[in-house]
Amino acid sequence: MNIQEIAARCSRCGYCNVCPTYRVEGWESVSPRGKIQIALSFLNGNIKIDARTVKDIFKCSVCGLCEEVCPIDLPLIDFWEELRYVMSKNGYAPLSVHKKLKEITYRYFNPYSGDQDRRDEWVNFEIKPSKTLYFAGCTASFKLQNLAKATANALNKLGIEFTIAGRNEYCCGSPFLRTGQKDIFEKLFERNLRYWERAGIERIITSCPGCYRTISRDYPRIAEEKGQEFNIEVVHTVSILERMGRFEEVEKKVKGTYHDPCHLGRHMGMYDEPRNVIRKLGIEFVEMERTKEYSLCCGAGGGLRSQFKEISFEIGKQRVLEAMETGAEYLITCCPFCEYHLSKSAEKLGNKIKVVDLVEIAEKLISP
Amino acid sequence: MELSRSVKRYDFHPIQRMLYSQDLIRISPFLKRFIKYPVCIVQPESDEEVLATLEISRRFKIPVVPRGAATSAYGGATTLKNCMVIDFSRMNSFEIKNGCAVAESGVVWLDLEKELNKAGYALRVYPTSAPASTVGGWIAQGGYGVGSLRYGDIGKNVEWIEVADFDGVKRVKGNELKYYVGLFGTTGLILRACLKLRENREPSNYAVKCSFKESLNLIEGAYHASYMNRSLSKMVGCGDAESLLLSFEDQKSDLDFDVELGNKIWKRRFYLLKAAKNANIIFTEAVLPYETVSEFYQKVGNLAIKAIFTQDCVVMLGILPERGYYSTALKVVKFIKMAEKHGGRAYATGMLFPHKKILDEDIRDYKKAVDPENLLNPGKAMQSNAISKLIRLAEMIP
Repeated sequence: MNIQEIAARCSRCGYCNVCPTYRVEGWESVSPRGKIQIALSFLNGNIKIDARTVKDIFKCSVCGLCEEVCPIDLPLIDFWEELRYVMSKNGYAPLSVHKKLKEITYRYFNPYSGDQDRRDEWVNFEIKPSKTLYFAGCTASFKLQNLAKATANALNKLGIEFTIAGRNEYCCGSPFLRTGQKDIFEKLFERNLRYWERAGIERIITSCPGCYRTISRDYPRIAEEKGQEFNIEVVHTVSILERMGRFEEVEKKVKGTYHDPCHLGRHMGMYDEPRNVIRKLGIEFVEMERTKEYSLCCGAGGGLRSQFKEISFEIGKQRVLEAMETGAEYLITCCPFCEYHLSKSAEKLGNKIKVVDLVEIAEKLISP
Repeated sequence: MELSRSVKRYDFHPIQRMLYSQDLIRISPFLKRFIKYPVCIVQPESDEEVLATLEISRRFKIPVVPRGAATSAYGGATTLKNCMVIDFSRMNSFEIKNGCAVAESGVVWLDLEKELNKAGYALRVYPTSAPASTVGGWIAQGGYGVGSLRYGDIGKNVEWIEVADFDGVKRVKGNELKYYVGLFGTTGLILRACLKLRENREPSNYAVKCSFKESLNLIEGAYHASYMNRSLSKMVGCGDAESLLLSFEDQKSDLDFDVELGNKIWKRRFYLLKAAKNANIIFTEAVLPYETVSEFYQKVGNLAIKAIFTQDCVVMLGILPERGYYSTALKVVKFIKMAEKHGGRAYATGMLFPHKKILDEDIRDYKKAVDPENLLNPGKAMQSNAISKLIRLAEMIP
């Protein structure tokens, strides 16, 4: 089905009212149902859209909750991404901040303006060649370097030989694919793939669900479109920890809850692995009210945080409050972007819960 | 200007106006000429804001169309005139008071049920569109849902409602509820409702493979019961046989029925729309008396059918694949005509069936008294409109 056909199939039942952005904004034009109707009218040539409507369409973290609740199983994640691409192609997008991030990434190969030569600044071990690559991703490389360090330590402790690409690691392109900017995405794809082929990479380990989704799902698709081969296995750190990790239990009994990152959960279907690791660590595990497939997004993805900070933080605070309601001391997640955003949201609520990445805790407790 | 002085949330944007002109009902390009975009949308957050909007309506003679989640298939929230849409979704708080839930109009039924369950309560009835539909919306349409076998229609499960009209806010209960339940906001705008509750108990669910006629002898004692024929079971992924769902408020140990399938159908009670997974469909609904429903079922059983059993009648839902808009619409009309031949009636009026004699005769007088200028959702419930006139014509086709 193309996006016009998908839009025409929408029954307007309104079950997608669970959309976190719609719940904040409250207007039909921001609801998935409303956006689909706008898209349908626009694609059929019945309406003209203005800047405000384009903004409303982009008020979405592409979390995929709408797809989960849709009674007729419309592929809405793909729909939003394709719609954004159509908007860009027709000159209605990218939005200002998304465009700026693209310009930055064209220059620095990451959206944080980080110096590409310092991408591996976090490395405190000797880099050896290997067919397995740890792809740290931009957030862990430039913003949350402890996660990159912890992941590398965990892999070392588990006896997994790996290498890193250093200045040859480029943004995976996820933020751009999600915001309809396929041009830069394809360039980043080509750069990364070229290096991986040169280095003989057969397996990629990522600690970022955004990179994980993009490299494992989007790269093979793009490669196929371009007539290229993509035979690289992609794994997320948490599935390695679950499969191979033997852990000591935490010394002091602590209570923790888990936030499902959208890109790991709804997008890739990985729900049990992180929970199993948390239990192995001896953490008293409690679920939040909305969990797994029905998890509330952290509010940061899909370009929402960069372009619509207020909405993004409103959703982030809702998620932190939900975590606090469980009585947990730790809000554990498996995504640097979620961790970063939820930490900032928790900060706004007085830091009453500590937001941590599972790998950072697990790494310390891996049994020798 | 007037609006900005009295209401915080409103919108005049043309795209927003387009979106708020329609609800669940699918309207053909030809019929769209009878739809008028609202002049603006108002999202009140308090009774005062609703009253202020009504005052503007009265002063400038602009009709108002109340809107919940717009999940009605009867066009209740479709806008037929230049009007102001009052979207109640921001009036969405509730409290538990003396064993009842006092819920504002915009509360979503399933959200309410989940919160009530935490406090040990449960709704006695709720619509099968509970994930989206709102308290005010369902009461304004009237009808039956989950739990109606034991507890009856929504009207029987409301202690009182508060409505706003041009004279202010009033509390309505008892026999007077008939002037509001099922009237689509044509006599007043529902602000909040006091809903009767029950103790929260996980229902025990069973599926029975049986004929429709047999199902009528099995439903006694259940709190909720529904029946799907074979075509519908297949369409919604609940097996390939006709099945009766029986849900009991208490655990039953003496029933030798299929628990696994029963739980599956129960879990999917909100997901009838799964029938639309492979093709667009149109629903048709009718209410039948128990005495003639088997005979009616014989006549329409070739369609995908769902029956919801209630205290005093059976709601029959026909699911029609959309093969040509008008030919399918004719089948919808025929389904209801067939029901009427069997002593039944259309499920609701809304924009489509205001000519059906569902409502008490004195309601028209009541409408004239409370809304002399005909500003409250005009062209609905008891007033004809261009689309309902075309439906009347279609009804004449043998």
